[in-house]
Amino acid sequence: MCSLALWSLMRDVTAQFTMDDAVLHPGYRPEEGSDEEGLWRMMDRAEGNLQLSRFVVRDPQLNEFISDMICRLGKDYCPDIRAYVVRTPYFNASMAPNGMMQIWTGLLLRCSDEAQLAAIVGHEMGHYIHRHSIQRFRDVRNKAGLSAFLGLGLAAAGAGWAGNITDLALTASIFSFSREQEREADSVGLEIMARAGYTPVAAHEVWQQLLAEQEVSTADRTQNVMFASHPAPEERLVTLREQAELLDGERGERGYERFRESLAGVRQQIVDDELRLRQYGRSEVVFDRLIAQSPKDGLLWYAKGEVYRKRAEPGDLKRALDAYQTALDTDSAPPETYRSIVLVELKQGNKAKARSTLDLYLEKYPEAADADSLQMLFY
Amino acid sequence: MMSRIALLNWTPLLVLALLLAGCETTGSRSFGLIEAQRQTIDNVISVEPGLTWNKVRSSKFTGNIEVWTLDGPTLNTLMFFTGVPDGEPLFVRRAVNQKSVEQPPVFKSDMNPFEIQELLEATMARNFQTTIADSRGLRPQLIDQGRGFRFDTSLVGRDEVERHGVFVGTIQRNKLYGAWFQGAKHHYFYRYLGEYDRIIESAQLLIKAESD
Ligand SMILES: [Zn+2]
Repeated sequence: MCSLALWSLMRDVTAQFTMDDAVLHPGYRPEEGSDEEGLWRMMDRAEGNLQLSRFVVRDPQLNEFISDMICRLGKDYCPDIRAYVVRTPYFNASMAPNGMMQIWTGLLLRCSDEAQLAAIVGHEMGHYIHRHSIQRFRDVRNKAGLSAFLGLGLAAAGAGWAGNITDLALTASIFSFSREQEREADSVGLEIMARAGYTPVAAHEVWQQLLAEQEVSTADRTQNVMFASHPAPEERLVTLREQAELLDGERGERGYERFRESLAGVRQQIVDDELRLRQYGRSEVVFDRLIAQSPKDGLLWYAKGEVYRKRAEPGDLKRALDAYQTALDTDSAPPETYRSIVLVELKQGNKAKARSTLDLYLEKYPEAADADSLQMLFY
Repeated sequence: MMSRIALLNWTPLLVLALLLAGCETTGSRSFGLIEAQRQTIDNVISVEPGLTWNKVRSSKFTGNIEVWTLDGPTLNTLMFFTGVPDGEPLFVRRAVNQKSVEQPPVFKSDMNPFEIQELLEATMARNFQTTIADSRGLRPQLIDQGRGFRFDTSLVGRDEVERHGVFVGTIQRNKLYGAWFQGAKHHYFYRYLGEYDRIIESAQLLIKAESD
């Protein structure tokens, strides 16, 4: 609570920055004794904590995919960048000045393909290569002192997940960049992804998708970490599209299949994390979009059913049952689909249907850990 | 050109860290003593603890709740639900910036015990800002000679500490009543599980007398 009081105090700190045109070269280390070295050391400590964190996703297949993508995008910078997938259900990626990159699972859920993810990662590399954080750091510190700088970090982290000082280290957005820096990161990011052979239009698509989600969100825009630091999404959409056209936007690789396969081991967990937020309108937009892309995906239909079951507004139980049935018609419905049908049938007073579905569930999945719990609901 | 600036003075960082850490101050005004004798909570639940507890007056959570602790809120808490009405969340973090906060998941009086379990899990995830939040083992539990239910919880907070918990609840007259005890897995939870069970065994719901 106190940190958030601080947060509101600090968010008013606005600052102009002076362009430092020194671009970071591969293998760069800051000068000993410099303020930049101090900043790097602080980030190294944060990275040490992150390496031990239980929120880091260790799935080898996913991590291999991410490192390959970073090397493909980063080329000579590849050895300087270390990426961590962090289990946080919001759209965000970030890059600290020392080369620590964080990719949140909520971003992975929201990307349609590898090219879209490459657009966001490329954008973060743009901040990194142009050393935006040290510029921001110096500027804010000179104007308002270090605590204000840290306050900006809290603001960027979004009210929902900004907490104490350990959060600050864990949270992706320690740096809130200026609009000018964001523009630069956008165009550099686009160049990076296009040069690596990814489809340039993916960059504006991914922002457009986020905007569509935001329109049905119950929270205002500043809640979203990416919007908090990127104040004019509509403007950036236009610019990104124009720039993509100059780069022959539709060409290049999407990487849809590889992206999907790499996420296979963690997809259900990422979907469950999204569902647990119970931001029904937003989740509906996300799952509908993913379903349009993969209409035979049982997990996505199950997820759509869960959104309706949990929202439980008039008509929702019927919608949920339809979605569960569609899931079962595919070959990839998760076992929990049966459990959810049991819950909906019970809610509708169809005890016989609930009973027969439960029997089917236990027959198919005799190991189901929640079997006894469900039996209890029949008395 | 890069300008040379002297090595930064890190003192303000330390001060800020202390300031933030100080949020959960343990001053005496923040707590009230709960003697090991019969206690009435919010005029609706009566229990008899076997140990001396502390009532947390400045909990970072708010709602139709009362929070007790033995070793401090970061180590263990006993949260009583004193009648959550239809359409309200189980509890929320004390609001900071209202307009930017997402809608919390809410209790509905037609929820069954399994759905309450799902709701507490979602509430935990939201309020402890974590994705590592689970619940399991739903089973019946007698409360004040009436039907209730019980299940186990676990979560890892942003502080990376693993906490185990147990929830007991009942829905009476469209409101949820219950008690959720949780604590750091090692020591601070299991040590007091017997005390929690004793409290549950002693529980009386005063709403019955009021309206029957
Ligand atoms: Zn940016």
